[in-house]
Amino acid sequence: MRMRLFLFLIVLLTSFSIKGQTDTISDGEEDYSMYENLNFVDEGAKRFCTPKVFDISPAKLISVGFDHQGAFDIDYGAWGNTDKSAIGPQTGKFNGASGMRIGANIPVIAKTNIVLQLGFNYLRTAYSGNGVTSNNPLDQQLREEGLRSTGINTTLFKPLNEQNFFIFQSSADLSGDYNFNQLIPLKYTRISAALIFGKKVNDRKMIGFGISRTYRVGELNYIPVMLFNWTAPNRKWGVEMLAPARANIRKTISPRNILLFGYELEGNSYRILSQNFSNDQGADIKNIELRRSELRFRATWETSLHQFLWMSFQLGYRYGYGFQLDQFSNNKEFFRGFFGDQVYYQENNLNGTWYAQVSLNLVSP
Amino acid sequence: MKSYFFIGAFFLLQTFAFGQATNGDQLLGVWEPSNGKARVKIEKIGEKYYGKIVWLKEPNDPNTGKPKVDKNNPDASLRTVPLKGYRMLKDFKVLGNNQWDSGTIYDPENGSTYKCIIKMTNSNTLDIRGYIGVEALGRTDVWKRLSTNK
Repeated sequence: MRMRLFLFLIVLLTSFSIKGQTDTISDGEEDYSMYENLNFVDEGAKRFCTPKVFDISPAKLISVGFDHQGAFDIDYGAWGNTDKSAIGPQTGKFNGASGMRIGANIPVIAKTNIVLQLGFNYLRTAYSGNGVTSNNPLDQQLREEGLRSTGINTTLFKPLNEQNFFIFQSSADLSGDYNFNQLIPLKYTRISAALIFGKKVNDRKMIGFGISRTYRVGELNYIPVMLFNWTAPNRKWGVEMLAPARANIRKTISPRNILLFGYELEGNSYRILSQNFSNDQGADIKNIELRRSELRFRATWETSLHQFLWMSFQLGYRYGYGFQLDQFSNNKEFFRGFFGDQVYYQENNLNGTWYAQVSLNLVSP
Repeated sequence: MKSYFFIGAFFLLQTFAFGQATNGDQLLGVWEPSNGKARVKIEKIGEKYYGKIVWLKEPNDPNTGKPKVDKNNPDASLRTVPLKGYRMLKDFKVLGNNQWDSGTIYDPENGSTYKCIIKMTNSNTLDIRGYIGVEALGRTDVWKRLSTNK
């Protein structure tokens, strides 16, 4: 009986031991030097660089968040940008602006030699506060409908070899004062794109340069872009930059706890569908777009709640980079750039305020 | 007549089982992920397949100068375990049709473990797909077989 019990315990202990070893740590001694000078069986096999550097903050596959801005003023210029306008310069006071933010970026092809992601995003901004100081049509429309932006996007990462790669990004956005009863026509889709050629110097540094067609400054612009992702040798700090869209200094507390300090420039051209816009003579004003651009300086804490479910908390200052109205002649988009002299229909100033954002994210492997 | 049928069925099953085992063992060998930073030896233990790290391009931690350990493991008791010899692929079973599933892949860079499916696209190439929940939410890495001269 004792012998049986002894054998049973031996078998039990042995099975635990094997289980523990097969779980993680390999058993037995092995001469690992034999694996140093090996060649591919396929002579034509190539190595490719990956799109990440060490400790880079995780990419968000699905994100659901909420954004809130504190109280702020908008200084409106004269309606129609003329001294003769019946609606002169005014100030609109708002208690805040807030809205849902939903995003998805799903890798449809995620292989060594190509990564293709398709994405979706939805941004809502509802402006709150009684418009007691203003009879400005834009002010009224912001308070009644607010702004929405819905878009699809794609990102292609194509490594050429172990060091060189290119990235192509594009997005198609429908932005405006529309709602779900009055949808925005597809003809008002705004297209953005960027092409970057880069080099992955090592596992801690990748750098690239390119050109973009963007609405981040509110209106159509063509600007150079720079990609720079870097992690310090001690792996405590790093930089994640796709300038001028965003740049962050990264502090890695642990692989599941990351702090980011930096800025993001976000914006788009919002089609105003309101029927309430008219000029001094009462004639309808059509083909109006709000060139909205916000520069957000912020601190972000990204933390893993459970495995791939992450939470992101963001607190910062929102600076109003652009909030002008443009009227299109012949209903055609045009390029003003930084040096164009086309006159805005209404020149406004969106005053700065604090903001906070929280989101729940499913992150990528 | 019945006995012939059973004998035939027995041999058919044997052949099928043998075929499965042979097919599954194609996975054995030394493989290199696409980034070239490590080499992984896939072994068979019992009826399952495991892959352990046998070579690292950068074997020592630049901060300590000592061999790299699994410092990002969420299990604190495993953070001193050397990465060389670490089983990052675990518990794979033969699915058939040159595929192995029911396993996991561990990423020492962030200490995360993902569900994983392995597909052999040709005798010297593996598609290793780590994913979250459903296969669609994942990333595929292509591993190449290395010659061990054995």
